[in-house]
Formats: sequence, C-alpha cells, structure tokens
Amino acid sequence: MKIGLETHVLLPTKTKLFCSDAVAVEQPNSSVCPVCMGLPGSKPVLNKEAVAIAVKISASLNCRINNKISFVRKVYFYPDLPKNFQITQLEEPVGEKGFVQIRGKKIRIRRIQIEEDPASIIREKDYTLVDFNRSGAPLVEIVTEPDIGNEEELRDFYTELNSLLYYVGVDIEKEVKSDLNLSVAEERVEVKNVTGINNLLGAARYEAARQTAVIKSGESVRLETRSYDEKSRTTKVSREKETEEEYGFLYETDLTNYDTDWALVQPVRPASLIAQEWAGEYNVPENRIREAIMFNKEALSLLDHGRNLYGFGEMLAVIRLLKQADIMNVTSEGFGRLVSAVKNGASPDKTTLEKYLRGVEIPDAGTVDESEILSEIKKVLEKDKSIKEKYKKNPNIVNFVVGEVSKGKNVDRKALAKLVKKEIEDLL
Amino acid sequence: MDQKEFDRLASISRLRLDENEREKFLKEIDEVIRLFDEIEKADVDSLEPAFHPIDIPQRLRGEEPEAFGNKKELLGNTKIYRFYVVGPKI
Amino acid sequence: MTSSISKFVRSEKREGYYDRLVTDLTGLNDRLNAFSVIDGNMKVGFPLSVKDNLCVKGFECTASSKILRGYIPPFSATVVERALNAGFSFLGKTRMDEFGFGTFGINNDKPVRNPFDERRVAGGSSAGSAVATSIMKYHVSLAESTGGSISAPAAFCGVVGFTPTYGLLSRYGLIDYANSLDKVGVMGRSSQDVRYLFDKVKGYDRRDSTSVDSALKSRETKNLMIVEELLDKVEDRVKTRFLGFLDRLKGNGYSVESVSAKDLEHSIAAYYIISMAEASTNLAKYCGFKYGLKVDDFTKGYNDFFSEARASFGAEAKRRILLGTFVRGKSVRSRYYSRATKIRRAVINRLKALTKKGLLISPTMPVLTPTFEEVEKLTPVQNYAMDILTVPPNLAGMPHVSFPYDYLNGLPLGAQAVSDHFDDYTLLDFVSEWEKGFRYEFKYNLGDL
Repeated sequence: MKIGLETHVLLPTKTKLFCSDAVAVEQPNSSVCPVCMGLPGSKPVLNKEAVAIAVKISASLNCRINNKISFVRKVYFYPDLPKNFQITQLEEPVGEKGFVQIRGKKIRIRRIQIEEDPASIIREKDYTLVDFNRSGAPLVEIVTEPDIGNEEELRDFYTELNSLLYYVGVDIEKEVKSDLNLSVAEERVEVKNVTGINNLLGAARYEAARQTAVIKSGESVRLETRSYDEKSRTTKVSREKETEEEYGFLYETDLTNYDTDWALVQPVRPASLIAQEWAGEYNVPENRIREAIMFNKEALSLLDHGRNLYGFGEMLAVIRLLKQADIMNVTSEGFGRLVSAVKNGASPDKTTLEKYLRGVEIPDAGTVDESEILSEIKKVLEKDKSIKEKYKKNPNIVNFVVGEVSKGKNVDRKALAKLVKKEIEDLL
Repeated sequence: MDQKEFDRLASISRLRLDENEREKFLKEIDEVIRLFDEIEKADVDSLEPAFHPIDIPQRLRGEEPEAFGNKKELLGNTKIYRFYVVGPKI
Repeated sequence: MTSSISKFVRSEKREGYYDRLVTDLTGLNDRLNAFSVIDGNMKVGFPLSVKDNLCVKGFECTASSKILRGYIPPFSATVVERALNAGFSFLGKTRMDEFGFGTFGINNDKPVRNPFDERRVAGGSSAGSAVATSIMKYHVSLAESTGGSISAPAAFCGVVGFTPTYGLLSRYGLIDYANSLDKVGVMGRSSQDVRYLFDKVKGYDRRDSTSVDSALKSRETKNLMIVEELLDKVEDRVKTRFLGFLDRLKGNGYSVESVSAKDLEHSIAAYYIISMAEASTNLAKYCGFKYGLKVDDFTKGYNDFFSEARASFGAEAKRRILLGTFVRGKSVRSRYYSRATKIRRAVINRLKALTKKGLLISPTMPVLTPTFEEVEKLTPVQNYAMDILTVPPNLAGMPHVSFPYDYLNGLPLGAQAVSDHFDDYTLLDFVSEWEKGFRYEFKYNLGDL
C-alpha cells in the first residue's frame, strides 16, 4: 500500500490571501469584498504575512525554499469558486523537496504551495447556499510523495506534521484537511477532504480493503475521486475529477514574481527530536516527554528552562497535573515551587495547584492527621461491604477508596493507597 | 482539430454551441491554429519567457484588515437568502 | 500650446451648457451608438467618457457583453476615481467590442458607426471612446488597449489615442481581457488634452499589483524609423499618403531611417495565443449567478446552469474561449503558450533596441477605414491580420500614440509612433510638435462654447 497526502492548512493571518478582509468571521458574507467575491475589475494583492508563514512551514519541513515564487490560475467550474479559477502555485511554489522524519523513516515532501481557499457551500435539495467569508482565506497545501506505507506510518506522519504546524503557529484544532491518495496496485484513488487522524485511518483502511477486493475480482481500480463518510466509515465516488489537461494552468499575470529572501527564518525544531534528545540525556521514557511536549509550547518551554534545575521526572509529573487541571500560563517560579512540592510527595487538586502557583504553601501530606484518615477509610469500607470481596478479584478498587477518602483533602495519594491496602487486607 | 477535441474544449469551458456555431467555429478555429503553428519556426528557444512586458517591483500587502464599505451594493448583484448567496444545485 | 481643458475650465459656460450637450449627444448617439450609458445629471467639470470595461460606481458596466447586462459595480476604477477627483465630469460609458475582442467596434449589440462616414466602422475595440472624442469639442476619454484597441479606433476616427507603458495606469476596476497586455489609455483631440488627463490618473495603485510608479523621461529626438517588413503590409493608397507624411516630417527636421526587424514576424500569432489564453481564464467567472445576466432556475445542475448563462457570449468571445482553453492545455502548452511568451521576449528586446535610437513610426492601420460590408467578409485570421502594426508595441507593453496626419476621401489617416518603456512624454512631445503645423478636422463639434 502506498499513501500520499495533500494536506491543506489555514495560515494564521489576520487578513485574506489577496484582499484585506478579516479571515475569521461568523455571519455569512459579512467579510467579503470585490476581490474575494471575484467581481470583474477586482485584482489580487498578495499578503506578506502569508508568505512569511508559508516560508516558515517550508523551512520546518526541510524544504528547499524557492527564492522566486509565482502563482498560476487553476481553472475549473464549481459554484464555490468565485472566479471559476483558483490562484495557486505550480512551477515556482514556496517550498520543494523536503521531508518529515518519523520513527525510522523519512516521508518526503514533494512541494508546499500557497493557495486561496474557495467559499464554503451548503448543499440544499434544489440549490446551494454560498458563503464567501472563507473565500480567499490563505492556505498552504503540503504534498507528500507516496511514501507512507501503512496505518502506523500514517498516524506517525500525521502527528509529526501537526506538531510542526502547531509550533509554527497554525491552529491545528480548526483547519487541517487532507486529501488521501492511496493505491494498492497501479491506479491511485483520491479521497477528498478528510479531517482528523481517525477519519484518515478509517478512509485508508476502507480504501485498501476495497481496492484489494476489486483487484481480487479480476477488475482494475478506476482512477477517481471519492469522499469519506464518517458515519459508515466508507468511501464513495464523488464528482468527476478534472484532469490536469483540463485545469489548463496559466501564469497569474495579475501578480508578479516575489522573492522570499526577506522571509527566511530559523525552522522549527521538531518536538519529537527534542523528546528523543532529552530522553537520552535525562533517562526518562521518550514517550512521556513526547506526550508532554508534542502539542504544548508552554510545557516545552518550562521543561527547557527547568531541566538543569529540577528532576525531569518530577517536572513531567507536574506538567501532567497542570494539563489535567487545565491550567495555563504558569510562571517558571510557580512551576519550580510545584516541582518541589511534588518531589515531597504532594498530590494537589486544581484549587490547591492554583493557590500554590500564586505562592501560597501547600500543606505537606504528612501534616494530615493519620488517625483521622484511618477512621475515614474504615467508614468507607463499612458503608460498602462488597469492597473487600471485589478487592480479591481486582486490587485496583483501592483507587476508588482513595478517591472517596481524599475528597477535598490535600493528601499524598500514594501513601494513602498503602494505608487503604493495609486496612482491606486486615479485614480479610 | 478533430471534432472530439473540439467538443471536449467546449465542454470543459462550459460552452454549449448549436449545430451552426459548431460547424462554423470548427472551420475557423482550424484556420487560427494554423496561424498559431507558424510560431514553431521562431528561433526563441534560448530566451526567457516574458510573462509581463516590463519588470515590476514586487508589492506585498501588510496585515491591516480593511472592510469593504459598500456591502449592500456588493451583494446587490446577487440573490440572497438568509445572508447566503444562492447558487445552482450541486 | 495650452490644452483645451484649461481653456474650458477658465471660460464662462452658457446657462444649460450640459443639458444642451447631453441632448445633442443623445440625438447623435442614436445613429452612431458610441455610448451605452449617458449620464444626464448636472455637471460642472470637463466632460469625460469612460470605456465600458472600466467600472464607474453605480453605473451599469457590461464591457458591451450580454453576460454582464445589469451589473452595477460597487466601486470605481482607480483611474476613474482619480479623474473625478481631478475635476473631470463623468458623461457616460462608451460602447466597445465585447470584452475588447475586436478591431472594428462591431462585436456587440449595436455596431459603432464612424462619424466621418456612417457606412464605415469606427475601429475597435475602444470604438465609442474614439467616436465620442471625434464628435465633441471639449471632451476626453479613458479607453483601454490590449492589442491595439486605442490606436485602431483613434486612427479611423481622426483623434489622438495614447497607450502608455504597461503598468503606468492602474488596472484596478478594469474588466480583464488579458491581464499581462491590458493597458488603460487616453483619447483626446490634442496631445495636450491627452497629457493633461494622463498626468492626473497615472502612477502606482496599491490595489493593482502590476501598477508602477516610474519617473518618466522625455528626450529630444529627431530620429524616426520605419520597419520595412511592417510597411510592406500596408495597402498602396495608404502607403503613398504615409510616404508623403514622412516627407513633411523630413521637412520639419526629422531623419527617417528604414530598418529591418524580422523578430516581429510572429507578433500576431504570439499576441493572439497569449491574449486568448489569458482571456479564456478571465471569462470563466461569468456563469449566471453572482452578477450580470442571471439564470433563474437554480434547480438545474451547476454545469447546465453555467452553460446556459455562457451561451450568451458573442461569437468572437466563444471563439477566443475555445482557442484560449486549447493553447493552455497541458499537452500543448509548451508548444503554444510558453513559446509565445518567448516570442514576446524577442519582440521586447528588438523594440527596445530600436527605440533606444529614436521613435518607430508607421501607419496605424494597414487599410483605409473599411465599410461594414467589407469587414463582415473577413475571416477571423484576416481580421487579426489588421492588427499587424498595432500588435508589436502592445505585445511589448511599449508606449505608443496614434494621431491624424492626413485625410483621404474625407476619411482621416492615422500614424502611430512607438517609444521605449517609460519614455511616454517623448511621444506626446513629438505629437505636440506635429500639431503645431497640422490642423485636425472633425465633422461634429458638439458642446462648442
């Protein structure tokens, strides 16, 4: 199986690619002008920031940056396309010949091109409703070579790409859509507009099985465009694809050539690479670091600042606590206090965490009266006599008791668990 | 140009031609393409293409949002239903 | 010599001057079809007409195409805005060949007639602008040329038609024909009037990425050149008169040199390939639901819906869409489109080399103003060949100006001078010199003071 992805990413700019309308607006057709509605007489003017971000993405995906870029018109007819051509790039795209490193493999990037988003369209029974707010929103399309060989690689690539985009500043929650090109044999099939890794995996799984079945039956796979249905987890044939002959790409002479020298920046260092390095350096499992930093700029920065001051394992524990409690904007001082407290065995809840970040001391786990805790444990065990029986089958029931007892208290959950275990075992 | 190629061009450019037009254009277009074919003789292989007649300094736009002030007239040329522009069925 | 614009502005106008002008104009326009819109509202400034492919906010703008009927642009072209800010008064929209596709002003709903002889064409595509200039004493027009659309009608209607260097006049608000070739320009009854308006509207516009702001040169030159291969294409009776004109210029102190420029041979083919390729993409947007002509039945599939709207393109537009779509197809693009852009490079190189030494001069059109009957007999290729003299400078984006130099059988003859990029003023100075010793003739002088 060979998979290539064409991923469309919305660039985080204030204004559209070729006009000064704001990008994110709610009420339909409120952020529109003659340019993004394709009115005769209007002309595109390229957004500088969009070029800067596209260059940064290209650099971060190890692409060769073209120092001269130009645009083309890709002509096809559809009601969501205001001019019935899309301004995109062909021969001189912003980036070419890059790669994304996943575990043990490089997925090659063929090209990265800047292009405009079409309008959004709602299909009604007898007509369509078109909203031009999205028309002209700045996108890059990231095109891979068909280097992805299985579902695991698809998942790894998707995570790695999204992490890089996240660190460039793209809002990956909102706008990452992919077209999936998959072939089991010769002919490839394109599945359009798939959002999110679960749908990509679903589409890949279904297409691979479908194409295999077609070939087994002695027929050949048709070159076609399909769409993915999230509910049934299947793909079906969508509108006929125009061939490249029909697009009739033409140099966009309303625009000129643009150099990119001014936009060159340091590429983003992959968080996965940082995780790998730290894992070796601080002897912490790589996965724990990845979990903390792949999609968390703040965690990466806290870890980076604290790694020569605190224990790495404790820092990761604090980051997990902060994430569970959904706490952001932590100062490095507050973070330091938390790390020390956790090191001393504290296991604070959200309210306590916040207090502590503000500089209020967390009471030590040892200061809670042990006899009071013991009587609390006994109360819980008496109330539900089945606990000790359940314990025989599943010792994890301890955690339930710990949860009951520690409600509203700041206690060391590990120490508490030991106490609970001892009490139950005493009863048996 | 054969008829099949002609019909393909008409179809991808969404032009519906009646029989008279079709017959007339087929002949005329053939003649024009013969004129175009003449450029094969030009000795220009070593030249850079000129997409524009002059060198134009690059112009990039800064990030100041600017709302088009004339929305009513802008959308006045369209049919609107609940803020949406009504388009043909897909 | 001062422009008639300053004279007009200083003069006392009779009470009801504009009402009278509008009435007279409307009457004559019923025969000549120069205007598609005449704005009868009260005005005070110098009368300005605008080719119908330039948007004027609030006035129907169709580029003389059925498919844009009813389109009211919500903004004005930058050149229009600048002219109005400079005190010109908008008088109306002038008829043209649909989207600029034509050399004679007949590819539209009402063919534009020549004021010198109404059985003859006005020339195109800026037909209405040339006729308007030819019939009004005080008036200038904003026109546009892609491959000769200012020179041709200016020559046939006996007015001064100036096409500046590509990019000097903003294209924002211009309905595109071919974006890398389209140039807004100016028509007037004298080089002074033309220069006055040109100065008010030129320069960089942040809404047009291809507009430029360049310091314009003006140089003294007495060197004129004629290109042998081009002059050979001119019919004899026109050529004879043109040679007489050259003699007069020699008498005025100019030298005339005959040069060979074989590189220009493929200009026409290259021009039509590039312009049709670009036009076929520009015309994709017209599909019947956002502006202009509307298809009512949304329940049709979008392909049928679009095709129904696009059936209302005129024959020449359809031809150019088909041919333009053909030459940019993937399998033939390098053979046609890419090669044509290299020919454009060769033409630019050649014309730049020549105009370094002086001005190129030729008749504007290879024939005397034809009748409607004569024009109707032409095949498309014969028709395109009429642009042989106007296409080279247009393909190269070089400034050129057409002006009357003689009259034959009561019809004006136009000559065209070409200069280097950004050497625009040299051309206007040259015509200004000519005007010192030659009186332009007109059949109508509507709006005389």
